[in-house]
Amino acid sequence: MTKKHWAAAFFLFLVFLFFSGDACAATLKVQCSDCHDSERFKTGFKNSVHGNTGCTSCHTSFESLDKHVILKEKPGMISCGTCHSEIEKQYRSSFHSLYEDFKCHDCHYDIHTLKPEKENFKIAVTKNCTKCHTNDEYVASGHGAAVMKGNKDSATCSDCHGLHDTKAYHTSSETNLLEAREFYNKTCKACHSNKEMMERNNISPNAVKYYEETYHGKVQDLGYPTSVAGCADCHTTHNILPKSNPASAIHPRNLTQNCGKCHPGIHPRFAEYKAHPDYRDKERYPQLYVSFLLMAGLLLVTFVFFWTHMLLWWRKVYWDKHRMEELGIKLESPFTHKEGIQRIRRFSVTDRIMHVLLIISFFGLVITGFPLKYHSTPWAGAIIRALGGAHNAGFYHRIAALILIGLFLYTLWRCFRFAFPTGFRKEGWRGFFARIFGPDSLMPNAQDWRQFKAMVKWFFGKGKPPVFGRWTYWEKFDFLAVFWGMIAIGGSGVTLWAPELASHVYPGWVLNIASIVHSEEALLAALFIFTVHFFNTHLIPSKFPMDTIIFTGSYNLEELWRFRTPEYEKLVKEGKLDDLKVKHPSITLKLISSMFGHASLWLGLLFTLILLWTFFFA
Amino acid sequence: MDLMISIFHRKQVIKAAAIVMLSILPFLFSCNATPTQEKGQKNIDPAMVLPLMKEKNAAVIDIMSHLECMDHRIPGSQCIALEELDKKLSVSIPDKKQSIVFYCESDRCPRAGLAYEKAKLLGYENIYVLEDGLVAWKRAGYEVETLQRIKRAPVVSIKSTKLDVFIKEKKDLFILDIRSEDAYKANHIGGAKNIPFYMLHKKLSEIPKNVSVIVIDENGKRSFLACCYLINNGVKDVMRLFGGMETMVHQKKNKG
Repeated sequence: MTKKHWAAAFFLFLVFLFFSGDACAATLKVQCSDCHDSERFKTGFKNSVHGNTGCTSCHTSFESLDKHVILKEKPGMISCGTCHSEIEKQYRSSFHSLYEDFKCHDCHYDIHTLKPEKENFKIAVTKNCTKCHTNDEYVASGHGAAVMKGNKDSATCSDCHGLHDTKAYHTSSETNLLEAREFYNKTCKACHSNKEMMERNNISPNAVKYYEETYHGKVQDLGYPTSVAGCADCHTTHNILPKSNPASAIHPRNLTQNCGKCHPGIHPRFAEYKAHPDYRDKERYPQLYVSFLLMAGLLLVTFVFFWTHMLLWWRKVYWDKHRMEELGIKLESPFTHKEGIQRIRRFSVTDRIMHVLLIISFFGLVITGFPLKYHSTPWAGAIIRALGGAHNAGFYHRIAALILIGLFLYTLWRCFRFAFPTGFRKEGWRGFFARIFGPDSLMPNAQDWRQFKAMVKWFFGKGKPPVFGRWTYWEKFDFLAVFWGMIAIGGSGVTLWAPELASHVYPGWVLNIASIVHSEEALLAALFIFTVHFFNTHLIPSKFPMDTIIFTGSYNLEELWRFRTPEYEKLVKEGKLDDLKVKHPSITLKLISSMFGHASLWLGLLFTLILLWTFFFA
Repeated sequence: MDLMISIFHRKQVIKAAAIVMLSILPFLFSCNATPTQEKGQKNIDPAMVLPLMKEKNAAVIDIMSHLECMDHRIPGSQCIALEELDKKLSVSIPDKKQSIVFYCESDRCPRAGLAYEKAKLLGYENIYVLEDGLVAWKRAGYEVETLQRIKRAPVVSIKSTKLDVFIKEKKDLFILDIRSEDAYKANHIGGAKNIPFYMLHKKLSEIPKNVSVIVIDENGKRSFLACCYLINNGVKDVMRLFGGMETMVHQKKNKG
């Protein structure tokens, strides 16, 4: 082919392209805007969020354009989900879709002129939702009002209820208590635990944290929000106002009625209860601060003293035992072997039953109470679930408390009988002080102080160990500590059991103090029993691993002579020793005692480990 | 045993046993009871509806009002309002052995259950109720069909406290109770006019267009669509009672 031919061919090709383009254009000469020529479609649609898409991107269900042009065919429903598939998926399970059969354009009113609302998104959402959910009950004040004033932190409707995934249940505490409480607690906390956001808006940044330190917060955190007040129960759901506003549900004037919804029969002073206090803040909550400080101090002093005592004692006994084994020294005894193993009764049947019940009630209280104290740990949730929920745990806690209160009252009665064997008659008073401070009494006296000093000296290798009578000073402490414990933990426990009734006696903030005292005293009692009492009674090398005397009730004559010499001498002198001689405990009793004792001991030690893990790792 | 009795006194043993029993009791009662079915009512889930339609030629009946049924329903449904069931069911389905599935618009609607009872009395043998109604149907991912859609419009919902204020203050107020005649007879707000939803399209002319209309339904689930219908038909000021009569009665009870 010559150059001329090439040029001609190229010219013809260009001519073909020119005319073929025209021909294609001719087939598409009908434009949507030719007929739909209003401003809404022409400029409105072009400037809308969908302006860069063609009409047929959405209106896909045409069979014949020709028929449509002559009004014989209407386009079918469009499917927004073709592009917005994720939103459609969420929307299909939303309230508006399931219950009201809303379509996209029922909220996005004019889909053709729709524009993105990036700058005023929250305001746009509020405006749109309140077209139906309008009225003063939703946006007249509180979050809604703040949004409308331009606050970009404040919650708009969708921040709590979702935008396209509005929950498909009624958020009414009256009809759907569990769902509603879970929903409100979760949504409120989502923003109110955001420290920066709260500080920016001059709102307490730790309200959620402090709420979770209260009984309400702990129970809901364990997963049982139906039993306790959540955020919305006190603050209501919409138009949430600061407490300075008289219209607010938490305004002092409205608080009695507000609290009374769940706590009927309260005295107005009940409302002085602090729903999320910071007990570390001495300016705002001086009573709580002092209470916490006192309890913390009590724990510190008690444990520093007793753990030091425990450690020194253990060292001394262990070292002495080692030396005796090393040197082959055997302890002397005035008795023959047969005489030495004669059993002497130390505890009556009543004492033993009382101690068994005490152990059961104590463990009952610890197992049902501590999960609440350490509510956020995995073991707390597991225990509460195993008990059948927070409600059941609370029920068992109260049963155990009743047993303990019963034991305490019976002990008081026995103390009274000890002090006044014949009542308040004249002869009853005779010898009162001799009994109270005598060798059989559990009341501390000067002798205990002397024995304590001798004991400390002995720890450091100075002097001989003291000789104890019927009761040692640590046994007396164990006994008397229960009196303090019952006043502190029992008094606070009964107060918390019946807070409505308590409000007729003292103001609501006493409930806050009761919570602190109950909680910290429980920790003191549990750790004391599981470490100090267990060591003094069972784990000391001379008794390790367990002394079952509280279950069998008796010990050997030699033990009485060796460890409680004055008691032995007194019994011999008074001729009462023979009366206390009992048979050797049966194998059944020994077996039961050993099993129950070991179970209690190891359960207590396991719990101590769990607590230590909680302190350092949880 | 003697030994045990020597350790624990008989009375104490009995006391201890009572405490143990008391401790066990809450465990027994703490177990959540499984939801019980209405006496004799055969409930089915959405997955069973289509096979029943195909294999047994079951009639699927939307038991709501005509307007609601035409707005959205299970494809292929018939529209027979509960209130008209006695009259229309035997005409539509003369064969008493024909399988029938009744369904409501929501999971809080007792109408399908009531229809079941009515159909049973009429002698139908193979009756089913779609559990949780159209909501369950949609949740299961099935489509609905629309024959005559009521265009949705913004509808203000008011609470009963506000209605009380309106009643006291507003003179031009038309309280429209769209519940069934029986429900209306049982209790209603003073001055409310009863036009059941299934009659709304027939009695539209009885509703004034230039006064505030407040629509009251059973539990707040149906009034929205009724309001939209009124707005589309020229009623200018339409509101609905939040939560319907059920919530209002509940709140009044609580207030004592």
